[in-house]
Amino acid sequence: MVFPSIEFAIFFPIVLALSWALMPWPRFWKPFILVASYGFYAAASPRYCLLLAAITIANQLGAVGVHRTASERARRWIVGVTVAFDLAVLGVFKYYGFFTDEIGGFLDTIGLGMPLPLLTLALPIGLSFITFQAISYTVDVKRGLLAPARTLDFAVYLSFFPHVVAGPIVRAREFLPQLAKPRDPRTVAVGAGVVLIVLGLIKKVVLADVLARQVVDPVFGVPLAYAGPDVWLAAYAYAAQIYCDFSGYTDIAIGVALLAGFIFPQNFNSPYRATSFGDFWRRWHITLSRFLRDFLYIPLGGNRGGRWRTARNLMITMVLGGLWHGAAWGFVLWGTVHGLALVVEHQWRFWRARAAAEPDSPGAAAVRAVGRVFAPAWVRWAVVFNVVTFAWVLFRAESLTLAGDFFGQLFVAGPATLWTPLTVAAVVVVIGFQLLPPNPLERLRLRFASLPAPALGVVLAVVVAIVGATVPGDGVPPFIYFQF
Amino acid sequence: MTDETATDQDTRGDGAGGPAAAVPAGGVAGGGPADPGPDGSVPHDTFAVPDPPAGRLGRARDALLVVWLAVVLLVVFQGGAVREGAEELAPGVGRDIVEAVGGPTGWVADRLPFSDPADDVFARLETAGGPAAAPSGGGGGGAAALTLLVTGDSLEMPLDTELARRYAGSEVTVERDAHVGTGISKSGLVDWSQLSRRQARRFEPGAVVVFIGANEGFPLPAPGGGGQVPCCGAEWQAAYAARVGELIETYRRGGAEHVYWLTVPAPRDGARQEITDAVNAAVLAAVEAAGDGAEAIDLVEPFTPGGDYRDAIEVDGRERIVRESDGIHLNADGAAVAADLVEQAIAADRGE
Repeated sequence: MVFPSIEFAIFFPIVLALSWALMPWPRFWKPFILVASYGFYAAASPRYCLLLAAITIANQLGAVGVHRTASERARRWIVGVTVAFDLAVLGVFKYYGFFTDEIGGFLDTIGLGMPLPLLTLALPIGLSFITFQAISYTVDVKRGLLAPARTLDFAVYLSFFPHVVAGPIVRAREFLPQLAKPRDPRTVAVGAGVVLIVLGLIKKVVLADVLARQVVDPVFGVPLAYAGPDVWLAAYAYAAQIYCDFSGYTDIAIGVALLAGFIFPQNFNSPYRATSFGDFWRRWHITLSRFLRDFLYIPLGGNRGGRWRTARNLMITMVLGGLWHGAAWGFVLWGTVHGLALVVEHQWRFWRARAAAEPDSPGAAAVRAVGRVFAPAWVRWAVVFNVVTFAWVLFRAESLTLAGDFFGQLFVAGPATLWTPLTVAAVVVVIGFQLLPPNPLERLRLRFASLPAPALGVVLAVVVAIVGATVPGDGVPPFIYFQF
Repeated sequence: MTDETATDQDTRGDGAGGPAAAVPAGGVAGGGPADPGPDGSVPHDTFAVPDPPAGRLGRARDALLVVWLAVVLLVVFQGGAVREGAEELAPGVGRDIVEAVGGPTGWVADRLPFSDPADDVFARLETAGGPAAAPSGGGGGGAAALTLLVTGDSLEMPLDTELARRYAGSEVTVERDAHVGTGISKSGLVDWSQLSRRQARRFEPGAVVVFIGANEGFPLPAPGGGGQVPCCGAEWQAAYAARVGELIETYRRGGAEHVYWLTVPAPRDGARQEITDAVNAAVLAAVEAAGDGAEAIDLVEPFTPGGDYRDAIEVDGRERIVRESDGIHLNADGAAVAADLVEQAIAADRGE
């Protein structure tokens, strides 16, 4: 079930009303919200509920087992087996086809035959998000940062409908304490929730989908059919589209959770405002970034082993982060580009610090000269934004051949057939709003969120109606991150 | 922009709201400042229940008032949309629920004078999000120029892109016009009789490729009148074939010299098989009745020999997956196989 759908418009008001009605009695509320969340998830395919239940049971057994075991060796084994189960589920559904097609194809070509049958497996919606949350729970229990939750609480955490299909990746320590006692019906962030839902709908349906239909899909589908002006526009339009699509989804998810009395962590923070690549990753898909940091980068050693180890760890983290998005070489290359950018940034910081400490050292003058070029924040912003934007091409293109076609067409002269006032304005608005000073926008948001409830209801109805009217007959396309 | 303003931004929710960023400086990428001390405890200890967003807090009853007021307003002004939406959903529990709600909401909206004015207002917005024209040819205008319209439901989406890539820069201009979720036997979302007329006027195609059939199986009016015919018997096939024949004729009248209609490979889901068989039988009958200029391109044998579903087939001497994981659509490799067949048919008709 997607948020901008008639099904959800029927589901949510009923579930919200019953949820608040049952909230004072957790022994009724928890089973109710569990059933509602499984119902929400089952709308994609009821069979996937079995998988969700299996992941829940396996990780709860692992967490309880590790908590009750004194031997460190046994605890490691339990966590290892549990995490291996999670990754195996993810691996089978997400990477089986890629493995058999790419690796198996190679083996077949050199005469070794296909090692596994060629099959296509449907990826259960939201599986990556579910498994990451499950892993974070089990590992945090192993680390002693969290006590095992009651099975019902853990099941509610993993399946809670606002975040089950596309995040944000809410950590158990952020969510489980909110189940400890009923949510206070006198302190609900109603205005903030409605603002987020409204903004999310506009971002997804009005901005992202229009850009996709008008510019991105045609150009990325057949880059050779378009000349440079359209291809440049498509690159920036995709940067705007993927931001609106994914942040729009999480805005709605966070807003829906707020109306139900729950608080989720922030997932985006004006990412195209970043003036360094590290800054970008603190603003883009924040909950994935911190997951990768805590469960991959730091266990690998983080920055504690010197420059080369740090570079290695950054590359591994970013390449695997790319692969997390899907089984395709484009995602691997996209992660590689970001990894390299971070490594260069790290190295640059080292050189700059050394040049400052040892002004006469070899290369210090060159470092200072380059530093002067990148001193203005707008220069750093322009570099980061454009690298991020053109790295998205690898992410979006259906194949590396098409990505090559796309880059090749950038400098081909020709007409600008897709530069309409609507498409250009959409790109400028999406990027430009992130560059505006935050305070006026924050004041506007607070003012809007402070409207009385009836006014918020009218605004919500009008926005839903407008959004519904802009949807073409084919309906709302799936969110990009559903496939991850 | 300065670093100072960027720091200010960290306290603001993205697109309004949300608690402050929980990621310490450094994050995954930053490395240095955020990395843990020797005990690795720094980042982990930063997790707790996020702060509520800034701003006034309300009560749960306010949340319910907002949501239910919006629902009431939408029912009053757009209640018919639920009923119409139900018609577009695939059969199942979800559709049954939406239908059950759509009946009363539609009934309410029908009896109030607000639907029509609201429809008029919102109808003006519908054109804003229409698809862009996506020409792929480079020639246009030449003696051998051909405008090739590739249309259908979601089945045709990888195929149209594949054909557009192949003909990019040639004298063939490919117009892609997919209508996802539509079917010839369901007219609530898109009426293909009307759509084909609009397509003929808009694109003026010299040839048309049609690949449709993923959303069929809905009852059709009996050919001679007398109510609805359920899928998938001979009478339904005759009704479906009549609609296919009507579309072929529409494209021809609009100037298309050739209409290529692709049959639908067997789906994985056995329950869909009967519908697919009926659709294919109807298409073959309609194409045969249409005579010269109409051609069925068979995808059943290449993809699902004997009508047996399979994920992979041999392509260029190597087994390759050609279907999407839903067991219905062709993937990019499958679309390439289908495009080969279409390309051959077009080349033959163009005397190439």
